[in-house]
Amino acid sequence: MKYFMLRSYILLFFLSKIINGDVLFSSLPQSFHVVAYPTKGQVLKAGEDRITVSLGLNQTTTNQTDNESYKNVKVKLCYAPISQVDRKWRRTVDNLKKDKTCQFTIWDKPYDMNNQTFEWVIEKDIPTAMYFVRAYAYNSAHQERAYGQTTNDKKSSNLFKVEGISGRHLSLDITSICFSAFALLSLVGFFLLEKRHSKIKS
Amino acid sequence: MDISLDSEKNDRKFALPVDSEHKATEFRLFSLATPHMRAFHLSWISFFSCFVSTFAAPPLLPIIRDNLDLTATDIGNAGIAAVSGAVFARIAMGTACDLFGPRLASSSLILLTAPAVFLTAIANSPAAFLMVRFFTGFSLATFVSTQFWMSSMFSPAVVGTANGLSGGWGNLGGGATQLIMPLVYSLIHSNIGSTKFTAWRIAFFIPAFFQTLSAFAIFFLGQDMPDGNYVRLEKSGEKHKDNFSQVFYHAITNYRGWILALTYGYCFGVELTIDNIIAQYFFDRFNVNLHTAGIIAASFGLANLFSRPGGGILSDVVAKWFGMRGRLWTLWVVQMIGGLLCLLLGKVGSLSASIAVMLVFSVFVQAACGLTFGVVPFVSRRSLGVISGMTGGGGNVGAVLTQVIFFRGSRYSTEEGITLMGVMIMCCSLPILFIYFPQWGGMFLGPTKGSTEQDYYLSEWSTAEKEQGFHKMSVKFADNSRTERGRKGISAPIPTDNENPPSTVL
Repeated sequence: MKYFMLRSYILLFFLSKIINGDVLFSSLPQSFHVVAYPTKGQVLKAGEDRITVSLGLNQTTTNQTDNESYKNVKVKLCYAPISQVDRKWRRTVDNLKKDKTCQFTIWDKPYDMNNQTFEWVIEKDIPTAMYFVRAYAYNSAHQERAYGQTTNDKKSSNLFKVEGISGRHLSLDITSICFSAFALLSLVGFFLLEKRHSKIKS
Repeated sequence: MDISLDSEKNDRKFALPVDSEHKATEFRLFSLATPHMRAFHLSWISFFSCFVSTFAAPPLLPIIRDNLDLTATDIGNAGIAAVSGAVFARIAMGTACDLFGPRLASSSLILLTAPAVFLTAIANSPAAFLMVRFFTGFSLATFVSTQFWMSSMFSPAVVGTANGLSGGWGNLGGGATQLIMPLVYSLIHSNIGSTKFTAWRIAFFIPAFFQTLSAFAIFFLGQDMPDGNYVRLEKSGEKHKDNFSQVFYHAITNYRGWILALTYGYCFGVELTIDNIIAQYFFDRFNVNLHTAGIIAASFGLANLFSRPGGGILSDVVAKWFGMRGRLWTLWVVQMIGGLLCLLLGKVGSLSASIAVMLVFSVFVQAACGLTFGVVPFVSRRSLGVISGMTGGGGNVGAVLTQVIFFRGSRYSTEEGITLMGVMIMCCSLPILFIYFPQWGGMFLGPTKGSTEQDYYLSEWSTAEKEQGFHKMSVKFADNSRTERGRKGISAPIPTDNENPPSTVL
């Protein structure tokens, strides 16, 4: 009885997810073939370097009817497992609504059956981390229907590093140090003033 | 209140009615009159700016953590560092107030810590982030100078109110910063067009400037005591320049200071802990977005607008009827209820119930803070600063301990941690039962027959010191604090003092 209740609960849970429209990553077919250049081991600078991405349908695994339901494709920059360690705000969750693995969309276009290639300059707000590239195909209800990625299932191959900008500028550094010095010098000034006042009073 | 011919003559230059120590006997919130109300406004605004600086990082963490590549452990450690620096800084500040006066002590500390806020703008690594949060946190020691200054400017009848309002409105900074910093950041990012990782850095200049300005305001516009600054009063002989080791000794040998340090750790310390963990708690447990979680976190701190002052006012009102015994009872009851609500907070499972419990909990725990500083001014006159510093430091110790035991690593879930923290609040409030003033009594025992305020406060001075007249201020304070006997005791005849030293007449 308990076992039956458990199974029906799990079944209902998944059904409710589908009814709610929550898509699970594990349910998606890997219909796309995605390749990104530069590849493994390279360090790219945010704001300067570019990534070239090629994507096309994976002929062997695609289903014809599925194919017709794709309305648009988004290509995203995703965190590799090593950059997710001890960082819950980047965690991977099967429920794609709660998944935080892929936080940057680098390309968003209507679906085209042909192979596509595009270039993307790494934007200045991309933080320093290890990444891979993943593409999602969406249906007209904006639900993920298929995916493709540059790395393997374990997310251990073809990872590349992006070095983010520091956000610091020489002018900021100078201003910051000058005002700190000003604060400390004012303090010395206060003590001298106080000493002078006490001498005057006596 | 003693109304002698002497005080009527000296009343001449004060906008507010004063007692024999020239401390104001009334509190007029919307006045800027020197020196009393001006001191009040200077102290709460500068303390507010220090709180804004210390907790300026948490609301911007989603951006800072990406820029500096922080892990959750780095963030947790920086949060603990931010409140641990002030533990010793508060005790040092208390000593500095006793020796140099609150005006110099607080403006110096604020200027010393302003560089840490300026330099946050150029932090480049997790280690640098931890260091700037650690040193910025030292500025929370201005709490002690705030309370000391209020206790120097306001008479026993209104000291709870003055302390509660200045402390509460300062603490408000911890809530206000959760709203101010994201606003400043988005203004810089959207309107000026700086990139995310530059915009947050520029944003930190705002609290840094505010803090620096407040130090200047205190130095040029403030005054240590109603009659003037320490330096001038010491030169003219009205105030004796006290001896550090004696001041320190009389503070650490007063058991009441230690008890209050412990209990304050479990009202204010809990408040600091909640400031650090509550946004994450709502975000993780109830899946609200970070923006909403920030608003909920802010509302906890913003309750300080009325809850801590409410505690201080309540302390003064209860003291009118029941004196010090009333202050102690109210403190204990309010803090116990706070503990119960904390226990409940960890147990409720729905978002709306959690928010409701959290708000009521915030009122009680912050009122307990205000009530604590209704008692502190009476523990010692000579070592008021160090006692205030010990109590204040105890608050931060409580924050560090609680975060380390219950909110670090994955031993307890956050809700379990909150419930256990509630239990700890209740246990650590029990020592209040043991606070006893011979001249006024304690929670369960009445005053010792024949014991007077003068006996208590003058016991802090040696005979040699008394012969030189160093204890004059304590005598005045002792007389003014007779109000702590409550309605019944105040009409009782003053027991004849067996102390009639001829050399005290100066």
